[in-house]
Amino acid sequence: MNRKKIYIQAAEQISMQQPLSEEWMTAPAAYEEPLVKAVNPVFRDYLPANEARRMGNIMKRALVTALKVLADTGTEHPDAIVTGTSLGCLDYTERFLDAMVENGEQTLSPTFFMQSTHNTVGSALGIYTKTHGYNVTYSHGCVSFELSLLDAWMQLQTGNAQTTLVGGHDEMVESYFDLLRKTGYVGQPGMVPCSEVAMSMLLTTGSGKDRLCELAGIRLCNSPTMTDIQALTDEMLAEAGMERAAVSAVMTGINGHPDNDQCYREVADALFPDVPLLRYKHLFGENHTVSALGTYAAAQLLKQNSIPTFMYDERRPQRCDSLSGLLLINQMKGREYAFTLLRRP
Amino acid sequence: MTEPILVTGAGIVSAIGIGKEETLASLLAGRTGIRPMKYLHSCHSELPVGEVQLSNEEMMRRMGVDADPGLTRTALMGRIALGEALEQAGLEGKALRKVHLISATTVGGMDRREAFHAQEKSCDRQHAMIAVHNCGDSTEMIARHFGEFASLSTVSTACSSATNAIITGANMLRCGLADVVVCGGSESLSLFHLNGFNTLMILDQQPCRPFDRDRAGLNLGEGAAYIVLETAASASRRGARPLCRLSGYGNACDAFHQTASSDNGEGAFRAMDEALRMAGLKPADIQYVNAHGTGTPNNDESETHALRRVFGSELPPVSSTKSFTGHTTSASGSIEAVICMLAMQHRFLPANMNWTTPMDNGITPVTYVPDAAPAELTHVLSNAFGFGGNDSALILSKCDCQP
Repeated sequence: MNRKKIYIQAAEQISMQQPLSEEWMTAPAAYEEPLVKAVNPVFRDYLPANEARRMGNIMKRALVTALKVLADTGTEHPDAIVTGTSLGCLDYTERFLDAMVENGEQTLSPTFFMQSTHNTVGSALGIYTKTHGYNVTYSHGCVSFELSLLDAWMQLQTGNAQTTLVGGHDEMVESYFDLLRKTGYVGQPGMVPCSEVAMSMLLTTGSGKDRLCELAGIRLCNSPTMTDIQALTDEMLAEAGMERAAVSAVMTGINGHPDNDQCYREVADALFPDVPLLRYKHLFGENHTVSALGTYAAAQLLKQNSIPTFMYDERRPQRCDSLSGLLLINQMKGREYAFTLLRRP
Repeated sequence: MTEPILVTGAGIVSAIGIGKEETLASLLAGRTGIRPMKYLHSCHSELPVGEVQLSNEEMMRRMGVDADPGLTRTALMGRIALGEALEQAGLEGKALRKVHLISATTVGGMDRREAFHAQEKSCDRQHAMIAVHNCGDSTEMIARHFGEFASLSTVSTACSSATNAIITGANMLRCGLADVVVCGGSESLSLFHLNGFNTLMILDQQPCRPFDRDRAGLNLGEGAAYIVLETAASASRRGARPLCRLSGYGNACDAFHQTASSDNGEGAFRAMDEALRMAGLKPADIQYVNAHGTGTPNNDESETHALRRVFGSELPPVSSTKSFTGHTTSASGSIEAVICMLAMQHRFLPANMNWTTPMDNGITPVTYVPDAAPAELTHVLSNAFGFGGNDSALILSKCDCQP
């Protein structure tokens, strides 16, 4: 099939950095706490107060990032909406579960249940923007965002959409963080904080002027050998008309957890031993969908064509002055991997 | 659609049977699976449900796996259905390395979490793992019983999840990202969603009556179903026998309300219309519609409007098999797709049980007739609509008909 060129037209975030801003590139906020909530913008600047009152944090953040991306790009309705969220409306889900167990299945209110399915966020985006087009939500742990990006890519490649709104959204509550800490996923010594994520981006097949970068390829795989990973990335590069040498830097999800970091270093050392390694989780924390913010950050670096010094992984001496291709690696439990290839247009 | 997408395997587990054979027998005999609650322990035991008639322990024994408190009912049912689909398609062992699994769930492991929730504050690592078991973990738990798939994916769009998993898999084939995919969904009953639906006051205390004037809500069910989709080139290379074609599909958003459908069924209309256009078919080419038909006043009213908008006055036979299985939520799309395949293959119209009185301007669904005359079905349409207006439709067609 003849591949179309696909661009990231605009992207916005709400995270533990300044919301709806690229201030993190010059003055990043730093945290010591094991759990850091997102810095909310003033929601009433974007949403009617009476509507916002009924929504949980994840919904408000998702809506605000999406509405800003649509406004930035002059898009009234995207053709398709694809959403990645691992835990969905976690806060409301936990509240309904707690109330159900505490009250012995009696006197429950429907409010929290109505906003507890994983597609609540994605469908709310459809409802709010009156978009009747394709609308799907992926909920697959740490690769939920990449699965959404892959689907958005397919919607654009098959011609079902010319513009697709893609998002990665997850919130966190203290009680759930305590459980995640017990499993060893977050809150371990030396690790970046556990965080919250809201990121929306608009993908297009058109050649708008102010785009951030090209989405040149995206692939996911399960339990690959290093040979599988090499074949997969080479195939993705070839399809984009690129060779490994065209990759200026590799963005990894290194977070200070030795097992996690080892997965990234092994792949980077085998495939790209001579390019700089970049990291983003010290800026945006750890969360199932934080790779959405990694993708957002990489797109901003390509747009600026510069890399702030604090994004380099100090274990490698290499630096780069000018960017062409950027490869993002994301992995879950050392078993499932996602590779996203971005390119300066 | 340019390249045909073939279905080469199917597996199903629901309240009306384990596997295609039992399912078919129940459908043909008009034997519903909606019964008093037996395996779920809820104080709302007056609510009838469509439960798979095996305990978790019985499912574990059936599969020969060791008893494990972390194994969820969703995963156990999913493994039985996925196993049947893969076996029919002749896929096992190393061959799975080329097969992509797209599975759907919403409840995931909520049933196990509920069992231990009261002790969570002081729980150990093993129970913390059970508590944080998410939708993706559910797919991984189903998959690891079989070996290593090429990739794993989990779709979660509430009650249209499994239909959307099938659409994602089909798009992967169309885009050249895969040659073989296996798609579907699994969902167990849980106190969480039983109570959730109950707060919305859309659960019928009697067996559900889809499209009946006096319908009073849905019955929740549980189950799992998967279908293997592959390109014609892959099927012929592997010598896999095609069972039918996925000739069209549509996905649209009602963009109306988080838990209600619009009066004119806009999302449902668009999903069906898109599926027909993709298949290159006219409404009159469809010989059977397996409706979403939950039995709630709102859904059946809205879906009737949408069906009339698509088909005009010439409605093909319509039924809701949720009157057999209950509403199996995230699994319903693939369960009903497999029921459509059985109907095409065995030449019968699945019945809409418990229907007696038409709605105002309503449709007359297929009622149960013992030893009904054979029905030649070439193209069938299956609807699945989810919370938030995530509406989808599939068209399955016989292999030997013109694309």
